[in-house]
Amino acid sequence: MLLDSIREKVRSGERLTFDDGLALFNEPDLLAIGQLANEVREKRHGDRTYFNRNMRIEVTNVCVASCLFCSFAKLEEHMPGAHTMTLEEAWKELEDRKDDPPTEVHVVNGLHPGLPFSYYEELLRGFKRIDPKVHLKCFTGVEIHFFAQHYKMTYREVLERLVAAGLDSLPGGGAEIFDEDVRKRISHDKATADEYLEVHRVAHSMGLRTNITMLYGHIETFAHRVDHILRVRALQDETNGLQAFIPLAFHPDGNGMKNLPAPTAVDDLRTLAVSRLMLDNVDHIKAYWVSLTPDVAQIALRFGADDIDGTIVHETIYKAAGTRSPGALGYDELVRLIREAGRTPIERDTLYNVVREHPKARAPEASMKVRDRKRALEVLS
Amino acid sequence: MSQLRVIGVEYLNARPLWEAFRVDPAKPEERNAIAADVDLRLAPPSELARALAEDEADVGLLPVAAAATMGELRLLRNMAIGARGKVRSVAIVAERPIHELESIALDLSSRTSVVLARLLLARRKLSPKLFAAKPDAAIAGIGDRTGALIIGDPALLLEKRYPYRLDLAEDWFEWTGLPFVFAAWFARPDAVSREQEDLFRVAKQKGLARTDQIAAEHAARSGLAEESLRSYLTESIRYDLGDEELAGLQRFWSEGARAGLLPASMPSFEEPRRSASRPSLDTLLSRAADGERLSKAEGVRLLREGSFFELGLAADAVRRRKHPKGVVTYIVDRNVNYTNVCTTSCRFCAFYRPVGHAEGYVLSREVLGKKLQEVVDAGGVQILLQGGLNPDLRIEWYEDLFRWIKSEYRLGLHALSPEEIIHLSQLESLSVRTVLERLHASGLDSVPGGGAEILVDRVRRKIAKAKCTSSEWLDVMRVAHHMGLRSSATMMYGTVDTPEERIQHLVKVRDLQDETGGFTAFFCWDYQHESGTHIAPGDNGTHLYLRTQAVARLMLDNIEHVGASWVTQGPAVGQVALRFGADDFGSVMFEENVVSSAGTTFRIGAEAIERRIHDAGFKATRRNVRYDWLTEPV
Repeated sequence: MLLDSIREKVRSGERLTFDDGLALFNEPDLLAIGQLANEVREKRHGDRTYFNRNMRIEVTNVCVASCLFCSFAKLEEHMPGAHTMTLEEAWKELEDRKDDPPTEVHVVNGLHPGLPFSYYEELLRGFKRIDPKVHLKCFTGVEIHFFAQHYKMTYREVLERLVAAGLDSLPGGGAEIFDEDVRKRISHDKATADEYLEVHRVAHSMGLRTNITMLYGHIETFAHRVDHILRVRALQDETNGLQAFIPLAFHPDGNGMKNLPAPTAVDDLRTLAVSRLMLDNVDHIKAYWVSLTPDVAQIALRFGADDIDGTIVHETIYKAAGTRSPGALGYDELVRLIREAGRTPIERDTLYNVVREHPKARAPEASMKVRDRKRALEVLS
Repeated sequence: MSQLRVIGVEYLNARPLWEAFRVDPAKPEERNAIAADVDLRLAPPSELARALAEDEADVGLLPVAAAATMGELRLLRNMAIGARGKVRSVAIVAERPIHELESIALDLSSRTSVVLARLLLARRKLSPKLFAAKPDAAIAGIGDRTGALIIGDPALLLEKRYPYRLDLAEDWFEWTGLPFVFAAWFARPDAVSREQEDLFRVAKQKGLARTDQIAAEHAARSGLAEESLRSYLTESIRYDLGDEELAGLQRFWSEGARAGLLPASMPSFEEPRRSASRPSLDTLLSRAADGERLSKAEGVRLLREGSFFELGLAADAVRRRKHPKGVVTYIVDRNVNYTNVCTTSCRFCAFYRPVGHAEGYVLSREVLGKKLQEVVDAGGVQILLQGGLNPDLRIEWYEDLFRWIKSEYRLGLHALSPEEIIHLSQLESLSVRTVLERLHASGLDSVPGGGAEILVDRVRRKIAKAKCTSSEWLDVMRVAHHMGLRSSATMMYGTVDTPEERIQHLVKVRDLQDETGGFTAFFCWDYQHESGTHIAPGDNGTHLYLRTQAVARLMLDNIEHVGASWVTQGPAVGQVALRFGADDFGSVMFEENVVSSAGTTFRIGAEAIERRIHDAGFKATRRNVRYDWLTEPV
């Protein structure tokens, strides 16, 4: 049986092929795939499960791109709902967290045609002034590509100026699906797959670490997902600069693909598990709880994921697309989610250095107390 | 040394083993040395197993079938109630040879005898219809082609009455060449020291020395001949438990396990934890996946120690074996809570209002009619009608309502949980049977399994003081099943309950199912803690839910269906639960007031349910309350 030969390969450390990936996506026995992904995950990380204290700041939703899956961006500045923060407003977000400072600020924006490049440099400088230790994980590959075009620089020049202003790493957003045909249909007017990957290649060559995402569950096929994952693997072979791969579930509310249903939990778990099995050269697979809901993210910790992202605060992109997840999970709630899954919660910084290791719950998974689960699950109105 | 809590049965043949522990109320000064160390309680056999399982007793004179069901008990040496050859007090009697019988009534008071009877019939390749009956009814029902399994005094009284008689212990001996052990002293792990064990041997010596008096006393009470009783106690019954008896016991347990009637526990004189024969978790899981019956102790081990995937895969294997076509069902129905006025004040409930409260309501016919019409219009097939225990609503109100619903809307009526039936029986001073018969005659189709919570009285007293006891709940289901009504079984865990108590709940459900076969499906969920409820949540979480459901699938080998409770867990976890033993996705509901008062507001339609079923790798179809497919699965 195909699954048996895949299991053999995984156990002997042999790389999986495109066909293996496709077979895994088509295998009905979800638990068999999960168990195998879990083996790989536990071999790499044991019970260790990472999370961080981060905050999201989206300084502008004005965007020249018109992606079909996006419920967040507004095309033009004067349209109702369009909003761009002043630098002071953006900095205040971090200042307001003085009592509970995040270790990471994660900035993702629309592609705004009317701001000077210095706005972004100042933005970063200001954050570092407020907290010199805070890690700035800002601007997706798509934004870097847009900056290069718009301000007439090379990727390297853009990145060098941002690093000089305080940039520490790049987030993984904007990867969507690399396949050219799908990409043309869902996001035709932003960085192509090659351009996106090139930004990461350059970033890695400069010593910056990055993540890469995959937006699944819309019009793409399983083959497109496997292709996407393999392009990530190829880049990592070349640069070894990726920290985490993050599958993101498509959410349909309020965007150009609202007639499509969101992927189901089984698809979410399968995608995470296949990612873990295919990406033998990437350390971390992240179950982004905002996209999955905390319940599914928790189960995902048995399906190959070893990271559950952070406390977030102020997530607005998925919220606009109708996720059932709350906007933020408290630190203690994240620790509890991880413990109830029988794992050891590790607070990390952006580069996966250990900030604090929490004790694992005492052995039997069945005797743990998880209070406030429903609070964490409260549906956003 | 603290007093040992010992529990025995009142049967004549058991008296020699416990009589020395008894303090004669007439002569308390005669309280002897061994009685002082023991707190003896006498109870019916079914109560014995419960008391031992729920830690209300340390040692019980347990029938061997019940001991196998519990597992991990220690057997005390040298004492038992058994027979080598004819026992006289356990027999199938009939007017014709056994192989000509079409049906046999079973006195269910002795599970051990019932299992033995089934084994002996199976060995002869006989498969008469077996049905439960009270002893008097069983005897009264003996006819041309109907026999009866009779036990105890009735069997002795009617020893010469019927031309054909199969003495079960004698037949067992002919089959196996081994004695048959009916009951023995079983102790909870580490509850009895070796010195305390001696008390039981001393008691047996004293008891056997008094068999003449015991026979005389029983003769006076029962009208049986004294001489016959004396020979019964001294010749038919054997009180030893030596190598041969142990071999007989082992043979019975393994034959019972092979037939799927008993867990494959093996008796031991050693403390179970140190027993070398304790199977590994892997062995347990593969046995369970193969459909073997698990004991209570084995279930507790799986719930505590089983790994996430192994539990899931084993439960999935059971699901596949029971439902090889890969079909997951769901029902289109509506939960109507006809009143929120309730007298029980359960601490986990945010829905109820006390009598006289301004927010109390009883739905009018007009409102109800509108709701029912919507169900009909949406292609629904039944309504689930439940409510509070409202003392203003008399049985006639329900009868009128049911008749009206049946005549106007022709929907299936899945109505009134056991708690409501008991409430009506008390309100009207009618028996549970009469209440059920009247409601059934007015249109009741099936009984929902709500209100089971955890069927262990310690838990019930803490979370729902005013509610019925576990045995009352089970009795309502027993009566309903015997009338031909079907019901579901549920479990709400995650308050003050322990893993042992959750498994005890499953065992009670399984035992009743052995008896009646009336449960169609099992659903479980965790306590939904939210404002308006008054107990802190205990064990809960998505992993625990999936594990619990998987263990339930493994334990409940005699229940056909397990349903995922997406209404409480959310559709995502509900979908994953389809790989943890569930073959049903519950209902597309319009509303579910009790759970939604506690803040859970999941709501999805039929299309979304079917998509989840397909995506999990199954075909989907709609069902009715009896789990018949209403359409060809797609």
